[in-house]
Amino acid sequence: MIRYTFITLLLVLAAFVLQQFLPAFTGLHNARILIVQLVFLCAAVTVGTPTMLLLAFVCGFLWDAQCGLGPAGGDPEIYSQPVESLRFGYSILLFGGMGYLMQGIQPLFREGKWQFSALLTGIAVFLYLSAEYAIITFVRGELILTRATVFQVIITSLLTMMFSPFVFWLLFKISSLCQHTIRFDGIKHKTRYN
Amino acid sequence: MKPLNLIALLLFFGGAVWALTRLDPAVRDIQAAYYSAISPFLKSGSALETKARSFLSETHHSKELEVKLQLVESQLGRLELIEGRFRDLERENAQLRHALKFEEATKFDVVAARIARRQPTTWWQTVEIDRGGLAKIGPQLPVLSNEGLVGKVDLVRDDRSSVILLTDEKCQVSAKVEGTPEVGILSGQRGKFEGTPMLRLRFLSKDAAFHTGQRVFTTGRGGLFPANILLGTVESVEKGSLDSEASVRPAVNFADLGTVFVVLSAGD
Repeated sequence: MIRYTFITLLLVLAAFVLQQFLPAFTGLHNARILIVQLVFLCAAVTVGTPTMLLLAFVCGFLWDAQCGLGPAGGDPEIYSQPVESLRFGYSILLFGGMGYLMQGIQPLFREGKWQFSALLTGIAVFLYLSAEYAIITFVRGELILTRATVFQVIITSLLTMMFSPFVFWLLFKISSLCQHTIRFDGIKHKTRYN
Repeated sequence: MKPLNLIALLLFFGGAVWALTRLDPAVRDIQAAYYSAISPFLKSGSALETKARSFLSETHHSKELEVKLQLVESQLGRLELIEGRFRDLERENAQLRHALKFEEATKFDVVAARIARRQPTTWWQTVEIDRGGLAKIGPQLPVLSNEGLVGKVDLVRDDRSSVILLTDEKCQVSAKVEGTPEVGILSGQRGKFEGTPMLRLRFLSKDAAFHTGQRVFTTGRGGLFPANILLGTVESVEKGSLDSEASVRPAVNFADLGTVFVVLSAGD
């Protein structure tokens, strides 16, 4: 259990490095594969709530460290209305929310139906990006939703979801190496007659 | 809820609140520590990427290169003609300046940098350049291309820096419209990727009158950008009850950025 948690944490950190080399697809409305979110979502369904929250904190914290912008600067007399930016740490809450969403179908995953979890990763990424954009819009105080933005969110979610079977396969391999059970294929629903 | 889960949730919220209450300098320190931790991986990854790119560029079809060569040759001829005319104008300009005892034109101390990575984040309009603190680049320095203002430096590492593009709303520029007394604040708009991203020139007077195609330059006020750098051209003006807002087409083609120049100082 501890070994599996530790390796999952390392996998998340490796995803952060890999994310640096995954460019945006300019021909696809700047969509991209969100490997960090994907690894977190897949891992979230295989671990307990405390570990999921630990992963959510690490992912959100490092994601904001990676993507956050600095202060606007300049003479405040000239730039009297600086643009409000998102607070450092907001992603921690978004990752936490996504993690709880994934844990909602953990019983299905434990029965061996990982396909539902794979599908849910796409939905979770879609909700994550939508929530992030909604927060940006709220902070800005002006709703701008272009068709390109909608496509960007949808294509990013689909591209990310496509790689979820690979991440699940990797997690199954790691769990068997660590002799940690994350899936109980043999479990069947018990009826009152057996 | 199990007691262990409840404790974990409380700790999680405590951590989130701690992170959310960090001030800008602390956040910058965290970002610097993060990037210094992953920089060995980034360096080795970049080296691999460069090798892959050079391999791909070598495999370009010779016919394609031939066509390009012909195109370049025709362009060269045209540019030679333009250069000849430019030299005449330069000579004439120097004579006039000398005659009028004008001060020498302002010179920028710049560092050339190549775009290493485009759009590294989902929503923010940023690029990464291959020069950083070792090349004396610092935060908030203006970044130019031969077409006009590109943006300003945001986060600086030893060998890389991130640049907020003019198309991001976080990059605000004090701007003036050529041939008018109008001065406003120019900025981009996040989430607008369709076609050429347009810029917004806000806080103009309510009677602002200019026509399409008028050029917009930096004013030099505000302590961030030197004066008289081209920003774009006016596309349309929208008049409000209190002020006006103009839509500006950027002078720089942000989709085709190759080499940029970071202004270290605006000279004398």
